[in-house]
Amino acid sequence: MLKRFGLIAGTVVLVTVMLMVSMSMGTVQAQEQPTATPPTVGTGATHISFWNGLTGSDGVTLIEMLGKFAEENPDISVTVEMIAWNTLYQKLQTAFVAGTYPEVFLLHASEIPQYASYGVLRDLGDQYTSGGGWLPDDDLSETTMSGLVWDGKIYGIPLDNHGRGLWINIDMFEAAGISTDYTQAPTTYEGWVELFQKLTLDANGNNALSPDFDPENVVQWGYTVGEWPNVNFLAALYQHGGSFLSEDGKTITVNSEAGMTALQQTYDLVYKYHVSPPPAGFDTWQGFGAGTVAVLPTGTWYRNQSLLQTDINSMAWPNWQWGPNKATWFGIHTFMVPAGLEDPVKLDAVLRMIRWVSEHQVDWAASGQVPARLSAQAALDPENYPSNILLGKTFSEYGIQDPRTTVTQELLSLLDAGLQEALNNIKPLDQALNDAAALMQEALDRAG
Amino acid sequence: MSAIMERFTGSGRFSLPVSLKTREAIAAYTFLAPFLIFFAIFFVRATIASVEMSFYDWRLLRPTRPYIGLQNYLELFDDPIWWSSVVHTLYFTAMTVVGTSVVGLAAALAVTRPIHGRGFFRVLLYIPQLMSVGAVGLIWNWLWSGQFGVINYLLSFFGVRPINWLGEPDLVLPVLSFTTIWWTFGFPMLIYIAGIQGIPEHLYEAARIDGASGWQSFRYITLPLLRPTILFVTVTGVIGHFQVFGQPYIITGGGGPGRSSWTVIIYLYQQAWVAFRMGFGAAVAVVIAIIMAIITTFQFKIISRPVEY
Repeated sequence: MLKRFGLIAGTVVLVTVMLMVSMSMGTVQAQEQPTATPPTVGTGATHISFWNGLTGSDGVTLIEMLGKFAEENPDISVTVEMIAWNTLYQKLQTAFVAGTYPEVFLLHASEIPQYASYGVLRDLGDQYTSGGGWLPDDDLSETTMSGLVWDGKIYGIPLDNHGRGLWINIDMFEAAGISTDYTQAPTTYEGWVELFQKLTLDANGNNALSPDFDPENVVQWGYTVGEWPNVNFLAALYQHGGSFLSEDGKTITVNSEAGMTALQQTYDLVYKYHVSPPPAGFDTWQGFGAGTVAVLPTGTWYRNQSLLQTDINSMAWPNWQWGPNKATWFGIHTFMVPAGLEDPVKLDAVLRMIRWVSEHQVDWAASGQVPARLSAQAALDPENYPSNILLGKTFSEYGIQDPRTTVTQELLSLLDAGLQEALNNIKPLDQALNDAAALMQEALDRAG
Repeated sequence: MSAIMERFTGSGRFSLPVSLKTREAIAAYTFLAPFLIFFAIFFVRATIASVEMSFYDWRLLRPTRPYIGLQNYLELFDDPIWWSSVVHTLYFTAMTVVGTSVVGLAAALAVTRPIHGRGFFRVLLYIPQLMSVGAVGLIWNWLWSGQFGVINYLLSFFGVRPINWLGEPDLVLPVLSFTTIWWTFGFPMLIYIAGIQGIPEHLYEAARIDGASGWQSFRYITLPLLRPTILFVTVTGVIGHFQVFGQPYIITGGGGPGRSSWTVIIYLYQQAWVAFRMGFGAAVAVVIAIIMAIITTFQFKIISRPVEY
């Protein structure tokens, strides 16, 4: 029995030891042979970690820029971790709780109120000339600057303005006899409906203005409401004089008369005028890429896709105007620094990197986005960056941003579900919008 | 010291002052120890922490976490979106468990027959089960696409106009269930194969001698004797499919249209990882666990009668 017991105990100990050894060996190997992802730029002794959500072609541009930065700053190396935005929000919050946050990260400026209110962001006001720093305050538009401030402090250094515009299929416009000159674009909802009707064709070649048009057999849509409905809704809401929040920021006002008008106009494009498919189950980029959509409401980030897809002859237009006021949605990719970063060497490296990228924002235009600094916008080559220049002006002049609350993502998620319910005929429009507003109000009240 | 020394026999072997049964139990627990330690750290501790968390207004980053008692639970039970998520989940689970059980049993019956290439077909039918939910989601998102989907393309040969499979609230859950049945029937099939092979052959021989038809053999021998197997398949199926997340989230892009394919886990995800309401999310998780425990107990009670061969 002793022999048997000894054999059992010995086996357990041996297996445990082997497991521990193999695990520790794995750790050693992992340390000796770092994986290629996430990429580390440079070989400098001062190492910083940089998280962002630039998982598209813009990420490639960023890596190229950081490569040049590392060449000019050989004492610094940067590990760039690119994580899909939704996952980044989650990972960043858990990292702050665990104390494993990066030295610098890039978020949308609309996240500043949440992170700043939790006290995890460093006040970057000393980087601006108004605080004795290097970044001229007047090199940013008022619309951009407004997104960076919370409770009187500036918590971010903006990288870009990225936002809404239209990408039009030039061949379809010409075939329909519509000018591709954006200065000739309609300025009323009725005008835009007519434009979309001319561009919507059934299988028999009839457009949506024809009495013989068959709405059940559309082969070319003039427009599509499915591309990120909540930012389209926001633009239409503000164009009709509405707003997301009351002036004191305590009441949700999306279900105002302006909101109902904005939603009704969007809904009518699908079910009354038959110029757009219902949003659910319709991939807008695939539709535009396959030549079945004439006007794609998307963003600055479509530039590179447009250049890649050479069989579709496309160009950028400013966003539509359905109401009496001009408005288009835009966001700001913003550098932020954790308040807990106290190592002076790393902090210096982070701030040098941010400054270098900011001063080379012209290069960032290759990502498709609009450089945040007005001087960089002015320096863009019109031949190479027409969409950046055109859409950038609209953001600076009449851009609107996501609401500035500590629960913005939650609010937008609730609004999005409500819009989907309305636009897919799951609920009547007023019920869908009122229900969404009620849920959003609860979320806002909970946040305090 | 002398007491210890007395435990050495004359042959020099050490003898523990315990019975054989105890010594075997010690050996068994020694083997179980690694699992139990991990279980205690990563499951029991996490479960207790979740229950505790559910009594707090616990935002992930907020420094203060006030105790709010049962407020999270009361809010949950008062939320119509939660109840619609429960209904969606039950509907999906019922369709999928029945579907995987029936298809798995049919496949098992087919591949336990003495046919050529039996092993090949077993592997072939099991292959979808090996795929990740991400791959399944992306593939079926394309197949069901109302714009470019192969399914609509094939139906067009029969004069069927394109159907917006993922855009119709009434269609989306059956579509997701169908996809899941295709993906996961391989596991029940394997279990049924084992169950069928465990049924004594002489029972079928006796039935044949008595003139029983194939259907009668299946109805009165195979099915009753597979009851424990069916129990296992349905219990594991309910537990697994009740927690569905990846298919609706990936195939419909978040549980749409609207919230038509929101399941309880998507609801939990939205609360915990979009709204970052960890306390409320923990309450949701506790309630889901209780629901699953009730369903499983109920299943055991109605199906787990003893089976004698």
